[in-house]
Amino acid sequence: MSEPFMIGSTQVQDTFAEAFPMRFVRLVITAATDGWAYEAARSATGFATSVIGCKCEAAIERPLPRDETPDGRPGVAMLLFAMDREGLGQRVLDRVGQCVMTCPTTACFDGMQGKADRSVPMGRSLRYFGDGFQASKVIGGLRYWRIPVLSGEFLVAEMVGVGRGVGGGNLIVGADGEDAALAAAEAAVQAMRGSGIALPFPGGIVRSGSKVGSLRSKALPATTNHQLAPTLRAYVPDSLVPEGVGAIFEIVIDGVSEEAVRECTRRGLHAAAAAGATHVTAANFGGKLGPFHFHLSELREPPS
Amino acid sequence: MSVTLTVRERPPARVDASPLTPERCNALNRGRVAGLSLRCGRETVRVGDLFEVGGYVSDRTLTLAGDLHLLDGVGSGMTRGTLTVHGDCGDRVGAGMRGGELTIDGSAGSWAGAGMAGGLLRISGDAGARLGAAFTGARIGMRGGEIVVGGDAGEEAGAGMRRGLVAIGGRAGDGAGLRMLAGTVIALGGLGGDAGIGNKRGTLASGAALGVPPVPRYAFAARFQAPALRLQLLRARALGLTVDDALTDGSWARWSGDFTELGRGEILIFEEGAQ
Repeated sequence: MSEPFMIGSTQVQDTFAEAFPMRFVRLVITAATDGWAYEAARSATGFATSVIGCKCEAAIERPLPRDETPDGRPGVAMLLFAMDREGLGQRVLDRVGQCVMTCPTTACFDGMQGKADRSVPMGRSLRYFGDGFQASKVIGGLRYWRIPVLSGEFLVAEMVGVGRGVGGGNLIVGADGEDAALAAAEAAVQAMRGSGIALPFPGGIVRSGSKVGSLRSKALPATTNHQLAPTLRAYVPDSLVPEGVGAIFEIVIDGVSEEAVRECTRRGLHAAAAAGATHVTAANFGGKLGPFHFHLSELREPPS
Repeated sequence: MSVTLTVRERPPARVDASPLTPERCNALNRGRVAGLSLRCGRETVRVGDLFEVGGYVSDRTLTLAGDLHLLDGVGSGMTRGTLTVHGDCGDRVGAGMRGGELTIDGSAGSWAGAGMAGGLLRISGDAGARLGAAFTGARIGMRGGEIVVGGDAGEEAGAGMRRGLVAIGGRAGDGAGLRMLAGTVIALGGLGGDAGIGNKRGTLASGAALGVPPVPRYAFAARFQAPALRLQLLRARALGLTVDDALTDGSWARWSGDFTELGRGEILIFEEGAQ
């Protein structure tokens, strides 16, 4: 491993974050108010932190003003990632059916606006909830389904476009204590959120970073990353916790493109450093996990 | 710059202008365009006899100008490109259109967009009877595409319509949506009498109160926000129609019918002042 380098007073390990290809959809949820759009999006992105345990990863991308939504109402864009298109399609049905259609006043649209090469059914499958009373309209070349519900109609796009994204990007932020490390991680998350980015964990931050597999059981797909657990620093021989670091948080990044994840990582790196992180590093599996490698040394220049 | 055909003087009889489509004219040089044949009453005439041919054959646009009252079938059957017409024209404009964009900067006669299957037809003025309708003897009228009329439309707009959008800025005449199969007819200025007779699954929307309630084959269902109609109104606005925010944000009364048919059609009537 190369020598660390400094950004301000923060020591940055000269390593890389390793990420892998994922498929994603962008859903635009609108409602009568910002509040209901947010409620629906919050519900639809719940329990979607990791594909290992949740089969998908999802997060709110950004709120949308009225002039950026298809129906001119307040909205929220959310990103949903899965390993393949089929799995993604099932997650879309689960989440839109249970969390968006059920939420008062909402409508759900394809955030890719029909521009993606591939797509998965959304309204095409959800329409059956209408029990034969549903109706469709083709508007501007796209088909929508009108599903009668107790307060009127739920309007949903027939298909939703599937894009090729990048999942599993990460940044690991450490400081001498939990408060300082959390403050630095929070600052990083604030800077990292934005268009094309999903930070799927609670508040964008992971405190139970994992490793693949287990030292003791073949049945466990993932277990705690003991090498980065500060309380084990003196116990495990291969600890990677630097001296003086008392708490570490990981930020997992999914993005719509390699460039989006790279720039997101850059923003997070510099924001964490500015907010008092003493150490920053990234997780990789020696290049065996995925083809996307984000070298922290290539992100020394602050974001423009 | 497009090929421009300007009428020299009013033709002696009605002219079938259906050969004058962008895809046809822009595949030819000016001389060949001038040599195209047109039916004028009982006679066959050359384009050059009626029109002054100008502009360049450089893109997929065609412009017609001058006194076009006696030109029927302008843009009918066109499949791509852009045709712009400056002035009022005759019947059957854009009839059977399958693609492209036809803009009438003026009014159009009867049967505009009849049997249309795709593309966009814009009429800034009024449209005559049977807008987007089925031709006589045909069961199915408009099968796709979009028609936007800035002014009023005549009787039986959308008759036999199966799919697509007809958005009328003014009033629609009597009998709108007659025997409509599906699709949407919106009249911001209100629907005339006897709207939606024989309607199976179509949507008729009236932006103003009806003079009398819908025909008895319809029954009132509920008032609601009509999210799909909202999207269609925004689409009509994007296509150039003036749509008040009150219409997109307001409440609509839904009448279901025609119960002598499937009963799955609807007449939506704007509820002024209700939210």
